[in-house]
Amino acid sequence: MIHNGVAIDDSFAEAFPMKGTRIVITAHNLTWARHAAVSATGFATSVIACGCEAGIERELGPHETPDGRPGVSVLIFSMSGKELAKQVERRVGQCVLTCPTTAVYAGIAEGEAIALGKNLRFFGDGWQISKMINGVRYWRIPVMDGEFVAQETTAVVKCVGGGNLLLLCRDTDAALAVSEAAVAAMQALPNVIMPFPGGVVRSGSKVGSKYAALSASTNDAFCPSLHGLVANSEITPQTRCVMEIVIDGLTESDVAAAMRVGMQAGIAIGAAGGLLRISAGNYGGKLGPFHFHLRKLLAAGSTS
Amino acid sequence: MSGWHLRLLQAPAVRLDLRGMTPAALAGLSAAQVEQLRVGFGNTTMALAEFFKVEPLSPDDSADDSLVFEGDLSRCDRIGWQLASGRITVEGSAGHYAGGCMSGGELRVKGHAGLLAACEMSGGSLTVEGDVSDFAASTLPGSMDGMRGGCFIVKGNAGERFGDRMRRGTALVFGNAGDFLASRMVAGTIGVGGQAGAHVGYGMRRGSVVFASTQGTLDIPVTFVPALVDAAVFWQLLARDLARHGGPFAALPSRTMERYLGDLATDGRGELILAR
Repeated sequence: MIHNGVAIDDSFAEAFPMKGTRIVITAHNLTWARHAAVSATGFATSVIACGCEAGIERELGPHETPDGRPGVSVLIFSMSGKELAKQVERRVGQCVLTCPTTAVYAGIAEGEAIALGKNLRFFGDGWQISKMINGVRYWRIPVMDGEFVAQETTAVVKCVGGGNLLLLCRDTDAALAVSEAAVAAMQALPNVIMPFPGGVVRSGSKVGSKYAALSASTNDAFCPSLHGLVANSEITPQTRCVMEIVIDGLTESDVAAAMRVGMQAGIAIGAAGGLLRISAGNYGGKLGPFHFHLRKLLAAGSTS
Repeated sequence: MSGWHLRLLQAPAVRLDLRGMTPAALAGLSAAQVEQLRVGFGNTTMALAEFFKVEPLSPDDSADDSLVFEGDLSRCDRIGWQLASGRITVEGSAGHYAGGCMSGGELRVKGHAGLLAACEMSGGSLTVEGDVSDFAASTLPGSMDGMRGGCFIVKGNAGERFGDRMRRGTALVFGNAGDFLASRMVAGTIGVGGQAGAHVGYGMRRGSVVFASTQGTLDIPVTFVPALVDAAVFWQLLARDLARHGGPFAALPSRTMERYLGDLATDGRGELILAR
């Protein structure tokens, strides 16, 4: 299958279940809400070593937040509810509580509750105040700029992590342009994040390693520098640079929609812009229950 | 059976105790059974039919689990006592303890209510279109906690000791409140649309009392201190919730506020909020 000169592999991305939550961070203005959100989602690219995968979902206008201030919604994903609870508490405690003028709220109402401000309240050293408003408990913690208001809990839902696209391009400039366009298209959709820097990862990995201590290692089949060296290389002489986009979403359909618009954005640039082929990472169907077939996604997109 | 309509035949000579007359308790009974239910009458009990004409609610009333009282029931106490579900409407005034200890459901009084309305209420909603007497949203004698949940709306005025020992929930008075408003309050939210009497927040430990009126002046007790900084985020959360109830509270989100913290004679973490 070739679209606008771009070969679409008859392959699929393999994703796995995660636990996730959304939190809404508001502040006196968008700048400070963004500061808190960027900080809270820092060092959260991969569960392999970060404990969670997190990113900014979108910015919120004053009419969209509980307190009428501008805000940012953040999605955080982890491999278990327990780990997620730990990450949320640490990140909100160190990055949102500390950030001037911020407040934090749950962005998902239905699901198992994990602590948001529930334990952070003890920072108030006895001066914290609980407030039930319309059935929701908030904590008011005195801080040096006034009060830090935090909803007591947020909800955890089952999510999908690890959706991905491999963009095989002519050179670095083309790969960056295509990746940036694809990420921009995906960021316009709700319920998904692309957790890697700029939404793009250049160090795609395969499962396992020659070293027993490592569970993942470089995806040698897609490394241009190993063309001619590895037996199963997917690289052609025209393909000098490959980028991967990883997508985490609240539901399978959210991840599918993001992959679709990402592919469409790449195809719009086409071979003329340097995108030669789109593939996806999978592990033979053994890793995760969610399979996103690239050609089916595109076909579904064109029919709808 | 969708519910019952109980019309008071005449004002009882002594006070009636209507505890137990809840939609759930009457569900599934025949008219004859309902008529024979015993109600407290002074120091004895009598059949309900001695005082009320009992009729099933028409299906048009679309009132599942409903109970409608008609007449001046100001001598009928404990209407909606321990109500947990369903809906009770009083087409007139209610006596003492209206909605006392209710934990769910809805009670609406079209007229006035007597003493101790919503006392120790823990859930559901109670609306009194008229006035309530003293000790509304407060505690039963000898008990430590007053109202502890739910939503209590008084469209008229309230008597003294409104919200005494209140611990949780929202209690709003659209009109004026008497002396000792929010006395010994432990937590929760009280809103007043009109004026308040003397000794507001006497012995108040925590909780919020919102004054929505811009008329008159509130006599801030000397055991309260002005807050140096506002609490704008919390105020927006609270004001938006109170605005749902309309009346004097409708415009709160667009108004600023001034806070006083106390009562320093006790815990000192309560707040009197004056909307500006």
